[in-house]
Amino acid sequence: MIRVIARNEWRRLFAQPLAWALLAAVLAVLAYFFLLALQGFLGLSAKLAGMASAPGATDLVALPLLRAIASVLLLVVPLLGMRALAGERQSGTLAVLQSSGAGSTRIVLGKFAALCGFFIVLIALALAMPASLAIGTHPDWGRLGAGAFGLLWFAAALTGIAIAASSYTRQPVVAAGLALALNLVLWMLDAGARHEGVSSAFINYLALPTHLEPFLHGIVASVDIVYFVLIAALALTLAVRRLNAERVRG
Amino acid sequence: MAAIALLQLQGVSRRLAGRTIVEDVTLSLDRGCVLGLLGVNGAGKSTTLRMIAGILAPSAGKVLFDGRDFGEEPVLARRLGYLPETPPLYAELRVDEYLHFCARLRGMRGNASTKAVDHVIERCGLGEMRRRLCGNLSKGFAQRAGIAQAIVHDPDLIVLDEPASGLDPVQAASIRTLIGELGRERAVILSTHLLHDVTACCSRVAILHRGRLRHDGALADLAAAQGSDLEAAFFRIAGADDAQAAA
Repeated sequence: MIRVIARNEWRRLFAQPLAWALLAAVLAVLAYFFLLALQGFLGLSAKLAGMASAPGATDLVALPLLRAIASVLLLVVPLLGMRALAGERQSGTLAVLQSSGAGSTRIVLGKFAALCGFFIVLIALALAMPASLAIGTHPDWGRLGAGAFGLLWFAAALTGIAIAASSYTRQPVVAAGLALALNLVLWMLDAGARHEGVSSAFINYLALPTHLEPFLHGIVASVDIVYFVLIAALALTLAVRRLNAERVRG
Repeated sequence: MAAIALLQLQGVSRRLAGRTIVEDVTLSLDRGCVLGLLGVNGAGKSTTLRMIAGILAPSAGKVLFDGRDFGEEPVLARRLGYLPETPPLYAELRVDEYLHFCARLRGMRGNASTKAVDHVIERCGLGEMRRRLCGNLSKGFAQRAGIAQAIVHDPDLIVLDEPASGLDPVQAASIRTLIGELGRERAVILSTHLLHDVTACCSRVAILHRGRLRHDGALADLAAAQGSDLEAAFFRIAGADDAQAAA
């Protein structure tokens, strides 16, 4: 049943212009960013050649691109996930799902799976750019792989947040705003606290970059995976509970 | 009656935002019966149907399907088809894609789902529209696609919220014929505020007013008992209260 809902969601996503437009715009921006970084690297390469243990293309081109993908996801995931439940509620189609006996958990997981699938495609397409460096140099595949792996978990956590935000309202725009605000808070929490002179291990743990950065540096730690899984699970649980409460509260 | 009725409402009440919308409604319905739920706007028809469809939980009382509770066995919902007030169509899907999804959502697979969709498209007169986008359908065809969605998986109980609203007389007549056919082997419950809908296709009528069930019986009984027709009875029930409220 989750598969049926996910497939329908996937089909609807690509039957509408929003997904295509976002995909095109995001890839165009990232390509521009990639070319700038590459140009910078080529300009520096003569100097780098003379240095011992100089940073390579992976450090100077791929790593900034991976960071850029993460920042773009902060904005794109809320935009794409905003309609997941709010849009269905607004158009009245949620009734089809609710009266089908599928249950709130399957509805939420189906939507989650479809959106995650979309972001896997987006991340894979974006990573084709640093992968193309293999034509001229030897990228650090291990680090690129770790970065991609981390971005997938990161995207899954953001998708969970977007779906949770979408479950609390009937206006997709409100859902997008709410999810974006949550993303930004989680993104900047630690930096903001440090700026104010507060250095707390807990706040540091809560922030998204704390757990994404290790991946980008090639460190795959289960602690960080657990963090992203926890965020996604918490968000999806809230969404399921919200849908269930709707039956009772109206 | 020896067997358990297909659908039973036992003292069902529902409060929404502090107001009682439906109060102590007891009803039962079996296959081969088309029940018209008649009432003025705001009488609690849609809320009652939403509870039957499992979208709202009753605040008190029970909705039993084949003697079992939806809340405990959600899979029962696959034997029910529901058309809400506005047809729940995905504007960006084609009619056939949409109906395939609805069939699969209710557990139909592969060939069975293809056959069911073809059958329901023919039955609801959607042949020419099957490759159109749902968002581009006219009101009449959208309503038919909504009904198709409710019956594609061959449910035992069909719940239709104002199926003939917004249709022209010709379309309304064809929908009524369809409902009559469906009611032969299944249980159908439909809500309406049009008396004509009830006399044209229902075998039983329940009148809901201010959330309370004021009448429940066969159409023929109504005329016999009250010595008048449906219209007079309906106006007596709906009108008397309003006069009381005004006084």
